[in-house]
Amino acid sequence: MRTNLRDVTVYELRLAAPLAAFFAVFFVAPLLLLFVLSLQAAPDGGGYGVAQYVAFLGDAFSLGVLGSTLWLGVKVTALCLLLGYPVAWLHVRSPGWAKGVIMLVVLLPLLTSVVVRTFAWIVILGRQGIVNAALMDLGLIDTPLRMLYTEGGLVVALAQVQMPLMVLPLITALTRIDPNLADASAVLGAGHWRTFRKVTLPLSLPGIVAGCLLTYAAAITAFITQSLVGGGQMLFMPMYIYQQASTLQNWPFAAAISIIFLAAVLLVVWLFNLLGRLSRGYAQA
Amino acid sequence: MLLTRRNLMQTALTLGAMHAFPGLTWAQARPLVFATFTGSWEEAHKAVLVPAFRKANGNADMVLDPMLSVDQISKVKAAPGNPPIDVMLHDPGPALQAVAQGLVEPYPVEKSAHFKDLIPVAQDANGPAPFFQTVGLTYNPDTVKTPPTSWADLWRPEFKGKVGITNLNSTLGTGFLVEIAKMHGGSEANVEPGFAAIDKLKPNLAAVAANPGQLATLFQQGQIDISPGNFNAIQILKARGVPVEFVAPKEGAIAFKTTIHIVKNSPNRELAFKLIEAALSPEVQATLMDSPYLIVPTNSKVRMGGEIAKVLAKDQAELQRKFVFQDWAKINEQRAEWIQRFNRDIKI
Repeated sequence: MRTNLRDVTVYELRLAAPLAAFFAVFFVAPLLLLFVLSLQAAPDGGGYGVAQYVAFLGDAFSLGVLGSTLWLGVKVTALCLLLGYPVAWLHVRSPGWAKGVIMLVVLLPLLTSVVVRTFAWIVILGRQGIVNAALMDLGLIDTPLRMLYTEGGLVVALAQVQMPLMVLPLITALTRIDPNLADASAVLGAGHWRTFRKVTLPLSLPGIVAGCLLTYAAAITAFITQSLVGGGQMLFMPMYIYQQASTLQNWPFAAAISIIFLAAVLLVVWLFNLLGRLSRGYAQA
Repeated sequence: MLLTRRNLMQTALTLGAMHAFPGLTWAQARPLVFATFTGSWEEAHKAVLVPAFRKANGNADMVLDPMLSVDQISKVKAAPGNPPIDVMLHDPGPALQAVAQGLVEPYPVEKSAHFKDLIPVAQDANGPAPFFQTVGLTYNPDTVKTPPTSWADLWRPEFKGKVGITNLNSTLGTGFLVEIAKMHGGSEANVEPGFAAIDKLKPNLAAVAANPGQLATLFQQGQIDISPGNFNAIQILKARGVPVEFVAPKEGAIAFKTTIHIVKNSPNRELAFKLIEAALSPEVQATLMDSPYLIVPTNSKVRMGGEIAKVLAKDQAELQRKFVFQDWAKINEQRAEWIQRFNRDIKI
């Protein structure tokens, strides 16, 4: 009898083999090639070593580009969280028909290409754009403000473009919270704010972590939006890599920057995951 | 090329078959791929050059894959044995790089019917020049009432926050830097005065575009009113009713030849040659010279007329005389350093 029973909790690794093979060929192998290339001393060969890494890490300007890219991601993620959380909360608390409408509004941006959305932002932020025209009509400003090609404009545009990535995990996390918990908290004498702080927010932390992770990764690598709304004088890592690889044909340095960027992003992801694990402990405590 | 469902299906099936039976790929060639430039050139080539080529070559299949010169080089360099492009189009800087890196096939001059008719500077055996590009000042005639006459006008106080430039990734940006360096006593070997001048331009700068194509968007949005610009790049905007005009500054507009090359190891060498022949032919060049393309011809049998004769030069000899030609071999020597420096110094 016992021999017929299979342990259903054992992972069947073979099922993952096709995907694993796909990743090995199309992701791991190119990455290894990239790494080997980054060890070349000069674009036309000339020995192997860590010269490219030394050049990047010893250069204040390059480190500045890396720092401003990672910082840009933080700002975009914070703005997305601030604006996205109420939307997700509203979605969970709304009646059925309103849920549909909110979901449609959230998903709508995903149905148009990121290039189109970014161009819309050029129209909105321009000197004769909607924002400037409204402010001038209201008499609040005399000359148009410069918003396009500024970091503030870029953060707002990126936040809108990446918003679904934040809202969707938040909705999932908030839906999973038992509404009776909030009622119980109210019965026990907690106000709305205290209930939110002590019950809802901690329970939704896994969703916050997942949303932040997705938004962050998407924001710092958004080549199109960064170059169209940010312009040619604001240099972030994706454009830096493109410039070195294409315009300057310096593939080893471009490869080294890519690897460093990857490592920096992995570090951030690891930090987020750590937060996620801590939050799970917190939520269950 | 128009993508129909049948076309797409065919391609998908062919690709599938090539994947399943890799032996097929050896004999079965892909269609000719011509990497033209984006924007005006893509539209012009799609409308004039491609039909002329197909008509002369029994409806041979070909694909336009528009991209910047530097991206063409990257793509060919990534797979030099089996390049994904057959015909490259290059500005002078990248052309020298491509030749130096051994990515181009010498043009079979003795077989060519049109090569000998090209004006002398266009006769380059590494790849002939099918047209010239010119860079001068572009401005919005609605807001700039007195047309600018000199590069120096960009520094005038009334253009505070109205000027657009591009960074040095493009021929336009680099050519402009060299030109203003020359204006202040520099040269292709010494752009120090150019950087100093751009530094003084900062209060006037509204935008540093990442590529020349963005300048067009910025004009359309009223973000900038004046910028160094490419004569051909604005023609399509103008045709669509965007208020933008070109003027050659009195110091002389910058001109450079654009060369067309057969890619080394191309599987479609013969068709590539035929396409280039079509691009050099007087018929195609004469059509491309007309509105709305206004592309400057290099074939001496084509008489310059219309808008080009009015705005730029009445014939190729005058073009040679009036325009400024820069030494791109010299520029390439230090361009990487300039780009690094521009990254660091030009922040607005």
